[in-house]
Amino acid sequence: MNSLLRSFGPLLTAVILLLSGVWILGMIVAPQLIMVEKSFWYMDLGSDAVTLSNRINNLYNDVDLLRFDKADAEALPASPERDGKIAELGARIEAQVAEIEKLESQEIAPKKVYSLRNYTIMGTAHFMIFIKTILASLAVTVIAFVVCYPIAYAVAKLAPPGKVAIIMLGLIVPYSINELLRIFAWLMILNYNGVANFFIGLMGIDPVPFLESGTGVFVAMVYAYILFMVFPIYNTVETLDTNQIEAARDLGAPAWKIHWRIVLPHAKPGIAVGAIMTFMLSAGSYAVPYIMTRGIAPPWFTQLIYNKFFESANWNTGAAYAFTLLIACIAFIFVLMRLFRVGIKEIAR
Amino acid sequence: MRGKDVVLQNVSVMFGDFTAVHPTDLQINASEFFSILGPSGCGKTTMLRLVSGFLEPSSGRVLIGDEDMAGVGPHKRPTALIFQNLALFPLMPVWENVAFGLEMRDWPKDKRRDRAYELLDLVALRDQAKKLPADLSGGQRQRVAVARALAVEPSVLLLDEPLSALDLKLRQHMRAELKDIQRKTGITFVYITHDQGEALAMSDRIAVMKDGVILQVDTTDRVYDDPATPFVASFVGENNIIRGEIERRDGGYGVIATAHGSFRARNPRGLGVGAKAMLFVRPEKMRIVTGSEAPENRVRVSFLRRDLEGPFVNLFFQKDDLVFAIHLTNAGEAGREVPETLEIAFEPDDSMVMEAGELADE
Repeated sequence: MNSLLRSFGPLLTAVILLLSGVWILGMIVAPQLIMVEKSFWYMDLGSDAVTLSNRINNLYNDVDLLRFDKADAEALPASPERDGKIAELGARIEAQVAEIEKLESQEIAPKKVYSLRNYTIMGTAHFMIFIKTILASLAVTVIAFVVCYPIAYAVAKLAPPGKVAIIMLGLIVPYSINELLRIFAWLMILNYNGVANFFIGLMGIDPVPFLESGTGVFVAMVYAYILFMVFPIYNTVETLDTNQIEAARDLGAPAWKIHWRIVLPHAKPGIAVGAIMTFMLSAGSYAVPYIMTRGIAPPWFTQLIYNKFFESANWNTGAAYAFTLLIACIAFIFVLMRLFRVGIKEIAR
Repeated sequence: MRGKDVVLQNVSVMFGDFTAVHPTDLQINASEFFSILGPSGCGKTTMLRLVSGFLEPSSGRVLIGDEDMAGVGPHKRPTALIFQNLALFPLMPVWENVAFGLEMRDWPKDKRRDRAYELLDLVALRDQAKKLPADLSGGQRQRVAVARALAVEPSVLLLDEPLSALDLKLRQHMRAELKDIQRKTGITFVYITHDQGEALAMSDRIAVMKDGVILQVDTTDRVYDDPATPFVASFVGENNIIRGEIERRDGGYGVIATAHGSFRARNPRGLGVGAKAMLFVRPEKMRIVTGSEAPENRVRVSFLRRDLEGPFVNLFFQKDDLVFAIHLTNAGEAGREVPETLEIAFEPDDSMVMEAGELADE
């Protein structure tokens, strides 16, 4: 705080604090709080709600009819009868509108009964999808690590300095293409009539339903998020003093022991960061499962959340689902940090 | 005596078009303290990597204890390397660092811990065993690196300027300690350094290298007293150098004519009359002429300045564009009162002439 004041002066410091305050409150705290609040009360979309919305609809119809009648009456030649009819219709319309407003206010602000119901109503089917999503994300993370560690090590320690830039470019270029396009590419490869099955067919084997089996999501996801594993690991391995690797070798360590005792412990913070990013992105991915499953394979949990929000129009349960996923992800981070014995500070490094 | 000898037979190293080490024969005896001395970029570290196995020679053979090391990796050689930056493992406590080599040899944990503590006793660090390397002082880390290398019981210990990061006092202390460990263990030490003082102080023998070529291999005294080339003479210790031409030969001596007069000096290479030559005189072999004596090799000079270096006094004199240095032991009134102009002199036996050649950069 003092150092901030010293380097920026009072005016700029105030601006910085104000802006970050607005950002934290407006973009992080407030939306989260609203969603948390929603998740803790249950909105009944059953018969009562349906009756209510039907009644409102009927009333709107009535009002419209009455307005037609009133317009008809106003078109008649002037007479006391006509005036009486207009007045009567006007009164009925007003009454109906008042009724609509009352019912609508009921519909907009339903009676809130706070409970954990949103968190407990998840059925077996959804729960299995939740578990499957977590396990699949874990598997994506593990595969990404297994693929990335050798690459990161090779680039950081084995590649001649001049080539590193080219390899890095090679790694980054595919990622400058829109994520959706990259996923569609996989769709074209793994489709039932896709490239992979074309070559499989050439060998005289029956086509394999990659997408239907769920393999497609998996493959596309590993591909989509693998770079988030490469770079943190590369960055930490790169800082390892090459002399340490040589010293270990000189002291008689075979290759795998050099990695186990020297390189991996050094790269731990990078691996943790990579694993957290890959896991969070996989568990929270929507586009990849949306495109790759398309209803022919079991959905990802994020798709269920989407459906709750925008198809069942049930934000309360949707919020509860979303928080369940968030809590699982945060738990994963802590388990990982404990497992790797790394602190927040090391990760932030 | 566990040391083994190291023999390089016609070894050369090429990196692409660049020749790091020209074809070289070198014999390092078992259980000696051998230094390879040279300026940076002379190929001395390449030599070390050849012996340790991190580098295969482009031609020739490396033998350790009569065994050909071709195709034998660093982890299979009877050598241990101490790196310039020590390369201790920062995430392991000191004792695990020391025990690392044993761990790699699948010693059970209890045994290797006991052995690590024994070695830490040897370097007086038993009480620091559980600390991380980062918590130790520079000298302590140095000793951990030595203990770690000794743990694998090498026959040849290779040291890559391990003292360069220490301050002077500690460096002098560690010199004595390393020499002591070498004597106690009988391991062959191959020590790489660009610090000629370090090499002279510790070694039994020295190889002086320049541009991938070994110029001279000899005992420390002989390298100092009888350098093989002008480069060795100017790189190892200091020298007053006068350029000139041989005008006369006189048995084992030669008389060199220079712009500052003619001088008679040893002529070990037997330079002929007319040869372009250089005269070398060590500063401590020069003296101020007193009284009425008239030594044969003398120069009239003017006094420039006096630098006190503790045990020594360095006096500097000028003659035209040439500066002479004289080192005196700081005893009595040594060099405290120096007249403006005076004569300095040296004995023919304390000086030598060599064919003119490249000198070490000052």
